[in-house]
Amino acid sequence: MQGNRRKLLQMLAAGAAFYGPWKVNRVWAQSGQKKPLTLGLTMDASGQYGASGQMERLGAMLAIREFNDKGGVLGRPIEAIHIDTETTPATGSRVAERMITRNEVSFLIGALSSGVANAIGQVAQKYGCVYLNTNSSSPTESGRDCHRVKFVWDGNGTNFANAIVKNAIRTYGGNWVLLTNDYVWGHNTSKATRQLLEANGGKVIDELIVPQNTRDFSSYLLKLQQIKPAVVAAAVGGDDQKAMRQQVVQAKLDRAFGWINNQQDWPDVYGLGPDAIFGVFGTTWYYRLDLPGVKEFVAKYQKTFPGMAIKVPGNVYYNGYVATRELLRCTQEAGSTNNIAVIKKLEGRKMSAADRMQHHDAWINPDTHQCQQTIYMASYNDKPAEADDIFKILTQADPKSVADAGSMQSCKLESYAQTPSYEQ
Amino acid sequence: MDFLANLLPHLLNGVSLGLLFALIALGFMLIVGVMEVINLAHGSLFALGAYVAITLMGWKLGYAWAFLLAPLLVGAFGMLLELCLRRTYGKDPLYGLLLTFGAALVIEELIRLVWGSNEKVLQLPATLNGAVFIGGLIYAKYRFFACLAAIGMILLLWLFLEKTPYGAMIKAGAHDAEMVRALGINLPKLRLFVFALGTALAAVAGIVMAPIWGVRPHVGVDAVVPAFVIIVLGGVGSFWGAVLAGLMVGVVVGLTGAYASEWSLLSMYLLLIALVTFRARGLLGKKTALEN
Repeated sequence: MQGNRRKLLQMLAAGAAFYGPWKVNRVWAQSGQKKPLTLGLTMDASGQYGASGQMERLGAMLAIREFNDKGGVLGRPIEAIHIDTETTPATGSRVAERMITRNEVSFLIGALSSGVANAIGQVAQKYGCVYLNTNSSSPTESGRDCHRVKFVWDGNGTNFANAIVKNAIRTYGGNWVLLTNDYVWGHNTSKATRQLLEANGGKVIDELIVPQNTRDFSSYLLKLQQIKPAVVAAAVGGDDQKAMRQQVVQAKLDRAFGWINNQQDWPDVYGLGPDAIFGVFGTTWYYRLDLPGVKEFVAKYQKTFPGMAIKVPGNVYYNGYVATRELLRCTQEAGSTNNIAVIKKLEGRKMSAADRMQHHDAWINPDTHQCQQTIYMASYNDKPAEADDIFKILTQADPKSVADAGSMQSCKLESYAQTPSYEQ
Repeated sequence: MDFLANLLPHLLNGVSLGLLFALIALGFMLIVGVMEVINLAHGSLFALGAYVAITLMGWKLGYAWAFLLAPLLVGAFGMLLELCLRRTYGKDPLYGLLLTFGAALVIEELIRLVWGSNEKVLQLPATLNGAVFIGGLIYAKYRFFACLAAIGMILLLWLFLEKTPYGAMIKAGAHDAEMVRALGINLPKLRLFVFALGTALAAVAGIVMAPIWGVRPHVGVDAVVPAFVIIVLGGVGSFWGAVLAGLMVGVVVGLTGAYASEWSLLSMYLLLIALVTFRARGLLGKKTALEN
């Protein structure tokens, strides 16, 4: 009796394994249309990076729309499915697993939190699915936690620290306090800042850890006043940073120290009011860069997504767009969605400054899979041309001068042979 | 001596934080204590209060009017929620829990639909903006206003519950609903009023905290968790227990924030575990029949 039941179960499993894919493919074969290429958007819609996750999703959707208007990729229309990764690594893993095994996506795109990006990257590597980390910027993403299938599109904590630290020591002095968000991006960004600071003769006199989802910064602000540092280097992101900025301004502490914010995501400051834009910070793109194509890109955002609360696009939207666009171009050039073919197209890929609307040419480092790009330093704009013109770009650094040497040493990409073959 | 001088500002900051925590927990405590309903929509109503105030201020009503009117409007919304809750009374508490959880999701999505997902700023009047110097340290002026508002609300609610006939009816209703009904008091109306008061208090807390925490659709999650911790810590249904627990949580969070910052959020949960281990009914909770 037990033997029969086991046999029956085995037959059912074998039948399902055959019939499932056959049924799906037969539908496309009979319809005479090509099976759509499905992109899995693993972007936060809730949690600490919920607001930013929505913006990078819009960026990716614009790139998809542009390709669909031209007939898709490889003659296949492009579809996207989005599941909220909730700024939670465990959810990120679950979403990635589901998208690969059940939704049969061709590629995965999206991340704000480095913890989530790392979790998705591990699942993607297990199956061999190419994954674009669009906006999470812990140095470990292209260092210790790099993967053959993962490509990192944002500047990382070390890039921004390289661009800012030396200047800030000269301007404000060498006694610094680090304000560190208690997760992988915060710790690794502060680590990079500490190394650079000490290498340039500065000193970290204290490091205050800010747990994720901290809403009250009064203890930190009192402590900072007691320590009296020259500079507060904050690696605090998302909603935590919004609350921090508001409370710093309320206590009028924005001018009490030099404030350095490693990277400033546009959705984190948009709408907070001009007072909240204090200190010096880094970004990879600004909507008023005086470069060809920028105005048209902004106009396209406004036309495609009318009535948005964020009226002009920022760095997070930009990264979502350029990353998705480049992936689709590479797929088209590879002539296949085969993972290794697409990976080889992405590795070492050169992208012109004009094409990316930045000041310097960019490229993907084949050893770390991180996009090497222009890094801008900015501060509050005291002479805005319009209400949304809240950043003043102070200077720009070319990719070579801010390269993350540490990542190149710590990144050990899996070989092609170790990466499972994947094609959808 | 230096250590004490350094410690004192953090102690005072902890007390101020505690008052704000107590304010957040007041409405939650009232509804749990009187109606035995764990209102998981408390956080969403907290957020709704802030959003309604922002809208009223957008209509040029001014901060003071927004502060007065927004809780009334949210209280009226709370009445609708109570009407939905009625079918769950006398049944497994899980029904009420699920209904308020569903309501929390609906309100949050409603906020996204009406006001959008992005950060909003509740503009303060100039008199509340700025900073003050005390003992060589800078404090935000608004913080003092927020603490005064918290003290005011705590006292007003206490006076209402202790010194008015309505307060006596509410307490009696919590103690023995059947007897109150037998005395001819309209219990459904009383519950409707209590729920409205609890939600209006959530809205007041939302308006007070908005300039400190910021305003976004999911900001309520940040409120409902400490509120839950505080009422368990204080003893379910105990007014002064909730206030005392709020102050304890504030001081613990404030001190850990200053001296062991990585523990600052965890500290309130550790406090809860430690206290409940030795005193399961909370600080001022009443003894159960088994303990007598």
